[in-house]
Amino acid sequence: MGMDDMLTSKVFLRKTKRGKVLKVVREHYLRDDLWCGSDLCKKCGQENSDVLDQSPVSSSTLCAFPHYVVIDTNVVLHQIDVLESPAWKNVILLQTVLDETRKRSTNNYKKLKEIMATRKDNFYVFVNEHHKDTYVERKPGESANDRNDRAIRKACSWYQTHLEESQKGIEKKKRIKVVLLTQDLKNREQASIEGIPSHKVDEYVKSLKDFPDLQEKLAASHSDSNNENREPLYPEHLAPTRIMTGVKSGKLLQGIFHSSRDNFLEGTVSVEGQDKSILLQGHASLNRAVDGDVVAVELLPEDKWTSPSDIVLEDQEDQDPGDEIEKEEKLLNNSTKSKDRIPTGKIVGIIRRKWRQYCGILLPSVLAEGTRHLFVPAERKIPKIRIETRQAESLSSQKIIVAIDSWPRTSRYPLGHFVRALGNIGDKNTENEVLLLEHDVPHHSFPETVLACLPSMPWVISQEEVKRRQDLRHLDICSVDPPGCTDIDDALHFRELSPNLYEIGVHIADVSHFVRPDTALDKESANRGTTVYLVDRRIDMVPELLSSNLCSLRPDQDRLAFSVIWEVTANAEIRKTRFTKSVIRSRRAFTYAEAQCSIDDSLQQNELAKSLRGLNQLAKIMKKNRMDKGALQLSSPEIRFEVSTETNDPIDVISKPMLDTNSMVEEFMLLANISVADHIFKHFPECAVLRRHPVPPASNFEPFLKAGKTQGFTLDVSSNKSLAASLDGAVKPDNVYMNTMLRILATRCMMQAVYFSSGTVAQVDFYHYGLAAPIYTHFTSPIRRYADLLVHRLLAVAIGADVTYTELLNRKCVQQVCNNLNYRHKMSQYAQRSSVALHTHLFFRNRVQDEDAYVLYVRQNAVQVLIPKYGLEGSIYLKGNDGDSKLCFVYNPDEPSLTCGNVTIRTFDRVVVQVSLDSKYVQHQKIAVHLVNPKIEGLCVEAIETPKTMEPSPKKLKGVK
Amino acid sequence: MAEILLSEAEKAFIHHGVQDDLRCDGRTRLDYRPIILETGLVSNASGSARLRLANSDILVGVKVELASPSPDKPQEGRLEFFVDCSANATPEFEGRGGEDLANEICRFLQRSYASGDTINLAELSILSGQQCWVLYVDILILECGGNLYDATFMAVKSALYATQIPSIKVATMDGDQPELELSDDPYDTKRLNTENLPCVVTLMKIGNHYLVDPTPEEECCSSSGIVVAVSGNKKITAVRKIGSGSLHPDSLVSMLKTGSDVGAKVNKTLMIKLLEEKNLEKSQKVGFMR
Repeated sequence: MGMDDMLTSKVFLRKTKRGKVLKVVREHYLRDDLWCGSDLCKKCGQENSDVLDQSPVSSSTLCAFPHYVVIDTNVVLHQIDVLESPAWKNVILLQTVLDETRKRSTNNYKKLKEIMATRKDNFYVFVNEHHKDTYVERKPGESANDRNDRAIRKACSWYQTHLEESQKGIEKKKRIKVVLLTQDLKNREQASIEGIPSHKVDEYVKSLKDFPDLQEKLAASHSDSNNENREPLYPEHLAPTRIMTGVKSGKLLQGIFHSSRDNFLEGTVSVEGQDKSILLQGHASLNRAVDGDVVAVELLPEDKWTSPSDIVLEDQEDQDPGDEIEKEEKLLNNSTKSKDRIPTGKIVGIIRRKWRQYCGILLPSVLAEGTRHLFVPAERKIPKIRIETRQAESLSSQKIIVAIDSWPRTSRYPLGHFVRALGNIGDKNTENEVLLLEHDVPHHSFPETVLACLPSMPWVISQEEVKRRQDLRHLDICSVDPPGCTDIDDALHFRELSPNLYEIGVHIADVSHFVRPDTALDKESANRGTTVYLVDRRIDMVPELLSSNLCSLRPDQDRLAFSVIWEVTANAEIRKTRFTKSVIRSRRAFTYAEAQCSIDDSLQQNELAKSLRGLNQLAKIMKKNRMDKGALQLSSPEIRFEVSTETNDPIDVISKPMLDTNSMVEEFMLLANISVADHIFKHFPECAVLRRHPVPPASNFEPFLKAGKTQGFTLDVSSNKSLAASLDGAVKPDNVYMNTMLRILATRCMMQAVYFSSGTVAQVDFYHYGLAAPIYTHFTSPIRRYADLLVHRLLAVAIGADVTYTELLNRKCVQQVCNNLNYRHKMSQYAQRSSVALHTHLFFRNRVQDEDAYVLYVRQNAVQVLIPKYGLEGSIYLKGNDGDSKLCFVYNPDEPSLTCGNVTIRTFDRVVVQVSLDSKYVQHQKIAVHLVNPKIEGLCVEAIETPKTMEPSPKKLKGVK
Repeated sequence: MAEILLSEAEKAFIHHGVQDDLRCDGRTRLDYRPIILETGLVSNASGSARLRLANSDILVGVKVELASPSPDKPQEGRLEFFVDCSANATPEFEGRGGEDLANEICRFLQRSYASGDTINLAELSILSGQQCWVLYVDILILECGGNLYDATFMAVKSALYATQIPSIKVATMDGDQPELELSDDPYDTKRLNTENLPCVVTLMKIGNHYLVDPTPEEECCSSSGIVVAVSGNKKITAVRKIGSGSLHPDSLVSMLKTGSDVGAKVNKTLMIKLLEEKNLEKSQKVGFMR
């Protein structure tokens, strides 16, 4: 073989970013020693290949002869989930296909690589691009795609003739053939001309009689659905190049799309650098965007701007509407006054899809035997998804995962395919799995590499370690926590140094001693970011050995701690602050109630009781000082479930009590956090990990002010101090819960508190609005928050107790970690809320109860109420029971109020509602709320019992920490 | 140019040969030496050609690039010539030794191509006033074997003939910025109309006669001559006198006449040969590995 034949060159033109045209020439060497990989082959050099069998067996009825399979790129691109199945054997993957996949979809390429790695024995990679007999050069006038198709066909026919030579003696029927699977009609036609057997992948998969379920995983192929000829429902998206230039020139805006929770026809786009987001209304404006997508928006002319709708709208048809779009006019109110108008736009293109896999359930279909079904995601912001499945019957009682494939213009809903089933609906494990998946909570068990970083048991503190630290084991230290707490990360002590001078210590578990930077353990916990507490489960940030044992400040055991020790006068003035790594021995782990008892019971005169009293005394003074500075006391309803020990199902709901000791512990933790924040910022002005709570923009307070007005209060929100004062003043004797409601509303006006690296934000913005503190951080819970761990490391370096490392001092790295922490934090809160909601569901499974409720918002077609006892929110739709709206409500948007006959409903009104589980559809249970009192004919349901007369007590008041 | 030392007797011999229309190598006065030509041998260039005229060896590469047109000719692209005399050709080219000759040839190329009869520069326009193609023609003289002008012009014409200009589309206009879209098919290219590109004929006067395609020895014997650039449609686009001697007006006219005739013939032959090469089955490049 001459050297000339083995060298070719690939030529292509490329336009550089600066607008130059480059002619790129790559040398391309061919080989004649690439093996075919078949066990049967005697020509190639391989010995005993175990990838391509000598006599391949397949259950395909379509190809009922021994065969190898060659797959086309479009199969990998569109049907990657199908390829994961063990049904695939004797598959030849061509390099052409790999290259094309990598170019078109990195995601699918990664998945394909994984499949190839796990199923080495079934996939053979043939480097056809470098084989002298299968390499093809692009012909003039041929598109790149056509060339690749030709290369694939060439490889097929090469295999065919190559294998023929080795099986001359075998009778014709038993000879191995090579079957090409492709979705491309043209390629199939061409293949049949060239004598290569080829099939559509879906036909082939359907013919695999040993794997009847596999066809469910087939992605909806849009090429042959009859959608093509129908009228498009949505406007078209602009081409990427046009979007790019549009965004560059400022004609289009780029932002992240958020769909509204309350109204599926509404959404907003937050554009970076603009504080007001852009409103979008109606199907055409939303134009197939899914929550989280990066989109390009065009602003409408100012006279077409509107305001967010007052209507609560769920895409609620319990039946499949087909591909019709309902009339929107009646769904969106357009009668808006000009002053409420905000920038409104429409989506003209999608820059980046943020599609993931979604958990949810199947909507019961009218035609159960049909194959086209609608999938309802658990997340309300995600539209329903059309999937094709034959297992609707069995899937209807399960939670399933579905992936979106595409959203053509002609389809009302995005098209997707079934990925896997999680388990039965209503089953608690399934539902827990769903909510963890939905909130992106990493909950796999810790891998070996992480566990290898743990100290070996039994573990004792070495003498050298004690020498390095201050020995505080002689102090009477105790911890105060909620009952059942096993991850105790803080403990306190108090002693009198001289009359009028006290020493207080806050001792925090020294997790940074165990979690060293740059270990697998560190990376894992940094990724997890926080421990997630579900109602019945805790997902740890660090392995249990640390969280519940070695780091937990258990009583009567020597533990490593990081201590903050103050000298304080009787007026709670701080004289001296110092930080030290220490060894402590807690005397006792109190619960809040026990600690409260010790304080209240004057008979107890032991050291611990005295300490607690002293601490409590100081805490009260400190709290008062803080409130005077303008710290807020906000409220969000918090409840706890009494869980049956046997079934683990909730049997009762109790609200969390708020004791003096709760706020005592909180007070010292705040003090420690602030002291530490000060110290690390002084030492690391560029890279200190701090926490700030931005001042909410005035516009956030609008609904709050409106609500206050209906009750006749003028609320001052100009500063946190005035807000706190207004809240304290807004009390009505006849409606005790009103004040709590106001606080709940005020909470919703707040911004999210966030972690940040001090080098990235101006110092004036460090302010913590809720606590009225100029600087703040998290130091006191390193077992359950990664941010605290970082703060520990910084503080340790600042006091010379530890060494630093590069990432810790790089403000960009720190900020990146902070971003992840903020995300995890937010998601964990959502997950916790969902967990409570889930248990509320379970609680109401066999119950119907009448409860007191308070009106949170009045909308044009619904009243949203809060049921304090369960911390539950629900909407009462003003539709009437029988469905026809004979009821005439008069909506007054100014107040806002709804009037029907002689009944008027306003914000904060107390009503009685009946709570039950709407089990019209077993699959899609939700909590239903019906009005009982005030009586409105046609809307109300009969009370099942005499409404309780007791006033609900205000629930736990909780500061924003 | 490289000087060759000749004795008086040798010069007289050449003189007599020319007089009798039988030159040292057996040619008549209007004969060319054998020419070897290959195009497209530099794969990185958009167009290339290598021409060997006896011992004169020229390599030409054409590179196309996007640029904005000059303000006075918004509808036209540009040609830029650059000649490099390799020190390989003769030791005298070492350092900046070849610069004068290079500039001389370069200027003459520019002058000959400046005429509207040779090339339609509007072909190179993409978007009037915004974008156009610029063809950078790089000429490398590898060996001097006499008659550099003729060899260079033929090589340039061949390289331009072989040049493939990628097809480019103006996808969108937004404000002032055109968004250009390059075709992803490397075969989707266009060729220039090179029919009329000029060829050059060097006529050397020896005694009372003049001859074409002088060898270096013949160049030594001549004191004057002219270089005539003739376009494909037989128009003279540029003329230049070389050598220190003088020319009689009568012989000048006659030389121009002959020049344009020979030029047209060279042009025609070259075009036929180029087309022949283009229509050949795709084969291995010969390049310098001969």
